[in-house]
Amino acid sequence: MGDISNEEMVNIANGFLLAAPPGEFMEVVTDVRALLPNESMLNATAHATFREYNTEQMIQVSSPGHKHQVLITKHGEVGENNYIDPKGKQVLVFDHIKQEVTSSRPIAGELEGDLEPVRAAFEQEAQRYADEHYAPNGTVTVYAKKEGGQNVIVVAISSSKFNPHNFWNGRWRALWTISFKPGGQANLQGSLKVNVHYYEDGNVQLNTQTTKNATVPAAADPAAFAREVLKAISKVETTFHQSLDTSYNTMGDTTFKALRRALPITKNKIEWGRIRTYRMGQEIGK
Amino acid sequence: MSSELLDNALDLMRRLPPAQIEENLAGLIDLVPDLTEDLLSAVDQPLKIAYDAHAKRDYLLCDYNRDGDSYRSPWSNKYDPPIEDGDGGATPSAGLRAIEVQANEIFDIYRDLYFEGGVSSVYCWDLDEGFAAVVLIKKTQDQSKKGQPMKGTWDSIHVVEVKETKKTGHYKLTSTVMLSIETETEATGSVNLSGSLTRQEEKDFPVNDVNPHTINIGRMVEDMESKLRMTLEQIYFGKTKEVVSTLRNQLGNSELEKRKLLSNQIGSALGGKS
Repeated sequence: MGDISNEEMVNIANGFLLAAPPGEFMEVVTDVRALLPNESMLNATAHATFREYNTEQMIQVSSPGHKHQVLITKHGEVGENNYIDPKGKQVLVFDHIKQEVTSSRPIAGELEGDLEPVRAAFEQEAQRYADEHYAPNGTVTVYAKKEGGQNVIVVAISSSKFNPHNFWNGRWRALWTISFKPGGQANLQGSLKVNVHYYEDGNVQLNTQTTKNATVPAAADPAAFAREVLKAISKVETTFHQSLDTSYNTMGDTTFKALRRALPITKNKIEWGRIRTYRMGQEIGK
Repeated sequence: MSSELLDNALDLMRRLPPAQIEENLAGLIDLVPDLTEDLLSAVDQPLKIAYDAHAKRDYLLCDYNRDGDSYRSPWSNKYDPPIEDGDGGATPSAGLRAIEVQANEIFDIYRDLYFEGGVSSVYCWDLDEGFAAVVLIKKTQDQSKKGQPMKGTWDSIHVVEVKETKKTGHYKLTSTVMLSIETETEATGSVNLSGSLTRQEEKDFPVNDVNPHTINIGRMVEDMESKLRMTLEQIYFGKTKEVVSTLRNQLGNSELEKRKLLSNQIGSALGGKS
């Protein structure tokens, strides 16, 4: 029954923080801080944990001076607390602890010049796709970078809805990495994660995640290339969403019903005055 | 101060993923060991099954049939592992044990009728005024087929406090049902729907030979559990699915607009005719 070290406690605490459902991070922070023997124990690792949570969740923020929203992600991190907004051509300074944008400045060389025509084409197609399937709650941000001799386009989509008044929150994240060499094949790798939390007089959570792969020829024309890739992404995501709906039906119709019947086989509630006769009936039946 | 800490702990448990409930509780106890007893009795966990070698039957484990590291079987009324020192472990008084035996018998039948399988156990203990009972039921289902895993687990924990005044029983019931279903397909990857709902109810029933406490408790548990089953169905397969559809629109907004326009046109055409 030994006491655990402070370091182990901080690890447990940070583990709890990273497991917070969408929209409930600060509530979990409050609870965890109160439960630690000393509130300040979290201070040393707070920034790192908050950053990990915000970037993993791909938090949506308003782009200062623009109408669109942009995501806070590791792919967009151009410096400590600095996140690029490629559509707004600016870099945002994000306070991870307060979870808000504190300032912004125009881009100064952070965009990958060579890839900008392709990135812009992808941004347009991805926005079209997001308008169709992720509006009004979703945000898409598109990045471009050179990595290990490959050109890489990243399409990040994060869609969330918070309704704490009715005790529910949810987030859908899709992160697609498209690696290609001009004139070759483009390899698509997608990560899809859906989390829903319902907590009125209880705690019910849907957690689903999967990774998907696809290949698409890398057309020379950026617009055609972007169209083909988004078509492939749309197909994969539509199939995923369809299968998720089907799984829901199967779980509800088959497994749930097999766990507990709505009524006994008599089709009536139990006549408690005669409860023991049900057992006798079974034994006679044997 | 301690009750405020317990509130924080319970709030935390209501937010952390239910699929990891055991690890979460263990971590929580590591953070606040002083709250261990409170947490073990306040936080519902999936029930564990043990085998009673005397009665040759399974029984369920919970805080109410635990004494130290031993658990008491409702069938043989014996502790496993046996408790050598002191009084041999806490057991209900003779009168209460008679009620406990009756309750186990009728809930065994109840379990059969509604669950067609699974394990049930009822434990009773004395209160300052009256007595309390916990009705436990556990059922698992594995419907995996053709490479698609599909597993479900149902845990019922019904705690009832009973007070009797002049042939009227006053019953206070707190019920929790934990439900976990998981599947995995090539298209979706792993899908996990887990959690629990809790409800409370207070009722009075007449107490007599035809309606002893056990029968009244049976009626109340049946009503409560059936209501909870309906709510679980609505929340798990209705509400959470609805939330997913607000996050991503499968049909597409253009298609939705088209259909809305069409239905408005039909609506006004019909309106014009009449």
